[in-house]
Amino acid sequence: MDIGLLGQYLANGVMLGTMYALVAVGFTLFFGVLDVIKFSHGDVLMIGAFTGFTTYLGIVAIGIENPWVALVAVLVVSIATTAALGALIARYLVLPLKSAPPLNILLITLMLGTALREGVRLFYPDGSNPKAFPALLPTASLELGSFSLRADSVILVSAGIAVIIGLNLLINRTRLGLAIRAVAQDEETAKIMGINYTMIVLVTFAIGSGAAAFAGIMNGLYYNEVNFGMGLLLGLIGFSAAIIGGLGNIYGAILGGFLFAGLQTVGAVALPFASAYKDVFAFGVVIALMAWKPTGLIAERSSDRV
Amino acid sequence: MKDDVMKTPIPVSLPPLATGLIAVAACAIFGWLFLLAESEVAVLGLVLLAVLAGWGAQKTGLSATLGTAMHQHSGAMNGAIVASLLAVIALLGTEHFPLLMLSTMLLYLVAALGLNVQFGLTGMVNFAGAAFFGIGAYTSAVLTTHTAVPPLLILLAGGLIAALIGALLIVPVVRTAGHYSAVVTIAFGVLFKTFLEVNEVLGGPQGLMVGSMNVFGWDFNNGPVLMGHEMSFYVNYALLSSGLAILAFALTRRLERSWLGLALDSVRLDETASACFGINVVRAKVLAFTYGNILAGIAGALYGMMISFIAPNSFTFSDSLLMVSIVLLGGLGSLWGSALAAVIVVLVPEKLQILQEYRFLLFSVLVIAMLLFRPQGLLPRGVRSYFPGGRAQR
Amino acid sequence: MSEVLLEFEGLAKSFGGVRALDGLDMRVKRGEILGLIGPNGSGKTTSFNVVTGIYTPTSGRVRFDGRDITGLGARKVYEAGIARTFQRSRLCLDLSIFDNVMIGNHARVNNGLWFNLMNRRGLRREVEDGYARARELVAGFSADLADRMFAPVGALPMIERRRIEICRALVSAPKLLLLDEPSAGMTHDETAQLMDDILAVRDRMGDLSIVIIEHEMGVIERLTDHCVVLSYGRKISEGSYAAIAADPEVQTAYLGVD
Repeated sequence: MDIGLLGQYLANGVMLGTMYALVAVGFTLFFGVLDVIKFSHGDVLMIGAFTGFTTYLGIVAIGIENPWVALVAVLVVSIATTAALGALIARYLVLPLKSAPPLNILLITLMLGTALREGVRLFYPDGSNPKAFPALLPTASLELGSFSLRADSVILVSAGIAVIIGLNLLINRTRLGLAIRAVAQDEETAKIMGINYTMIVLVTFAIGSGAAAFAGIMNGLYYNEVNFGMGLLLGLIGFSAAIIGGLGNIYGAILGGFLFAGLQTVGAVALPFASAYKDVFAFGVVIALMAWKPTGLIAERSSDRV
Repeated sequence: MKDDVMKTPIPVSLPPLATGLIAVAACAIFGWLFLLAESEVAVLGLVLLAVLAGWGAQKTGLSATLGTAMHQHSGAMNGAIVASLLAVIALLGTEHFPLLMLSTMLLYLVAALGLNVQFGLTGMVNFAGAAFFGIGAYTSAVLTTHTAVPPLLILLAGGLIAALIGALLIVPVVRTAGHYSAVVTIAFGVLFKTFLEVNEVLGGPQGLMVGSMNVFGWDFNNGPVLMGHEMSFYVNYALLSSGLAILAFALTRRLERSWLGLALDSVRLDETASACFGINVVRAKVLAFTYGNILAGIAGALYGMMISFIAPNSFTFSDSLLMVSIVLLGGLGSLWGSALAAVIVVLVPEKLQILQEYRFLLFSVLVIAMLLFRPQGLLPRGVRSYFPGGRAQR
Repeated sequence: MSEVLLEFEGLAKSFGGVRALDGLDMRVKRGEILGLIGPNGSGKTTSFNVVTGIYTPTSGRVRFDGRDITGLGARKVYEAGIARTFQRSRLCLDLSIFDNVMIGNHARVNNGLWFNLMNRRGLRREVEDGYARARELVAGFSADLADRMFAPVGALPMIERRRIEICRALVSAPKLLLLDEPSAGMTHDETAQLMDDILAVRDRMGDLSIVIIEHEMGVIERLTDHCVVLSYGRKISEGSYAAIAADPEVQTAYLGVD
């Protein structure tokens, strides 16, 4: 295989890895503070992408042509919307079920994901068909032999990595992050120390969901398409990535995201005659990994108290 | 059992058995009317009536009486239920579509009973129920088209293949717990559908034709003749589906009311403590997982033959969620609950075509409400009684 | 038959860097009630978890009834004749009293698939036998409970739950019973009643050995023949209650003064 094609695969893999890591970080944050899985995460991402798309249509309708202005508006509106949505989900669906069996939260958010997905399919104008997402980034490209490095890809990956680093700094270096980590460590102690528990949970859900919106916009810009079903697969991949990495560990989530993208890329390279099987291959490997390391590559803290 | 439409005229003094038998008859008449109802207004009216009757039965204590009847006279009650199911099929006679719906509902019930053993008893949620159902259907498509295996054996083969493919998942499913095991089945469900879509041998997105059922030379594509009238060929499928559902129900009931059922409960409620009391946790999980997949596979195999054409789109993750919804709405571990929920989840949207498009949305919202406000389900499971009419009183 | 039923030899268990058990040697004689005491985090419950096979020890051996059971796994340990209760009651609250007690009897019933699904008569006989056995056991604690064998456990007060937990542990006629803080969550009167119950059990099952973890020194004083005191995963003292109560090292461990 020639170098150019390999480079293309690599660039694509890095792009996917960044997206997956962004989704996985959300799962990990939620699991960190509440020990719950919010499976509607992928569909919240889809809502973010659709909000972004709608915002763009609105911006165009009022006559603003500048793509950078549009991009900023799209990002701000969609991140704010999903952040609010995430906090609402935490407040009304997740927190009320905290004392119920943990599986119930997984179930209720799975069902919510279905409801969001179906809601967009049924009620968004022509929602069952894919929408062409605008190319808001410069598309100039640098040709290196048969490999072309596109400016928009570079910007997307850099921005995505910047967001991940930013999130990491937020969690590890700020007072808010300290409060989040305190709640994740021990809810009771955090409460005694005067941390507003509910508020921290809501903020964490808002942050994670905002990151998902960012990934959703990234996805739309990269593929120039959004559709109502995009969240299911991305959510599942993010979930798998978080689980492979070991839930509750932010580095694990990033590792998992890139690992999954790597698997898909390897699948596509190794099975060129059947690149359609790349998802089958990637999920097959996830299942095998779970058989080998039942609590992820970076083990979750042991929880069963006797 | 609660949609007893004749609740008010029954004097409270009637003995439980009589009340029970009247209720079964009422349900049968209701079911027949419901399946035949043409206009949306009629269907809506009947749904409303059922809701009211169910609510009334709770309020007047009728449902408790029915519970007593089921408990003390299980033989007579079960006999009456089987007889009225057969009567409804006979009465529908020439009606293709209602019979198809009834059979579909019964086959979904078989799969849901399997999922209930996995999820309701053992606590292992299987988010790939539709995939195992689909494995059965594809098995029957391949075997009916390419081999001369007798179709009755193909049903078993569907269950067997589902169990075998399920066995590939056993190691990760058994070793992992909670959300970790959820990711395994979710991944498998998505993988399965993607695989079918890209695989040309199995027809790709277009799917496959399936041959019809044939029992000892009797081809199910022929309508049986009853007293000179030729009935719909779906009567065959309705009868076989009923037989399958009754068998699955009886077997699952026996499983639940045995030492094995107790072991499954114990594993669900506390794995560590179970192991400390000598319960073989791995065996319990393998048993429950395999049992459920076999039921889903068998039901799927017959479903494929009945609708004669299958495609990946019938076995999506959303369909798997619908099956999980049946178990949750009915009540974890509650077998009659699964039956009631199968009626609601399968039949109601089929009858109310306006709802058909909205069914995934409708049931996901319904399950959310259920988890928030009535997590025990519509017909909560009672305390285990090992033998009908035995010592175990509620 | 040796006089010693259970023996730890240099038993150690670490979690990460923390040594919960640090070379523990201990013996339990047949028929005795041994009290296991020590401050919080001294390794008492960990030692139960290692014996019952929930944890595998980092090093050291556990011998039971003349057999090495180190690292045997919870199920095998149970079959060897060790049953336990848990610090936080771990009954199945949705299930009936009968079901909960029968969970303890699981190793003694027929668990064959065919038997359970198809042999209705055989299963019925086993259920009848099991019922008689469980009822008798429960009746030994409370006649009232024995009349409600099919009531869900979740509705019962703490002391009744403790009793059912003990019945669940006793139904398989173990040789050794491990009680992890049976008085937790109970009032003074309830604790006193439970002590009577435990002594009555011992009288009924003469050769049963009991190891009991307890913070209530009154319970230890009244029940035990012999005591072992742990601190930081090691044995710091042993002897009769009176002897250990007078031991200055024990007082230091409890009060934390040097």
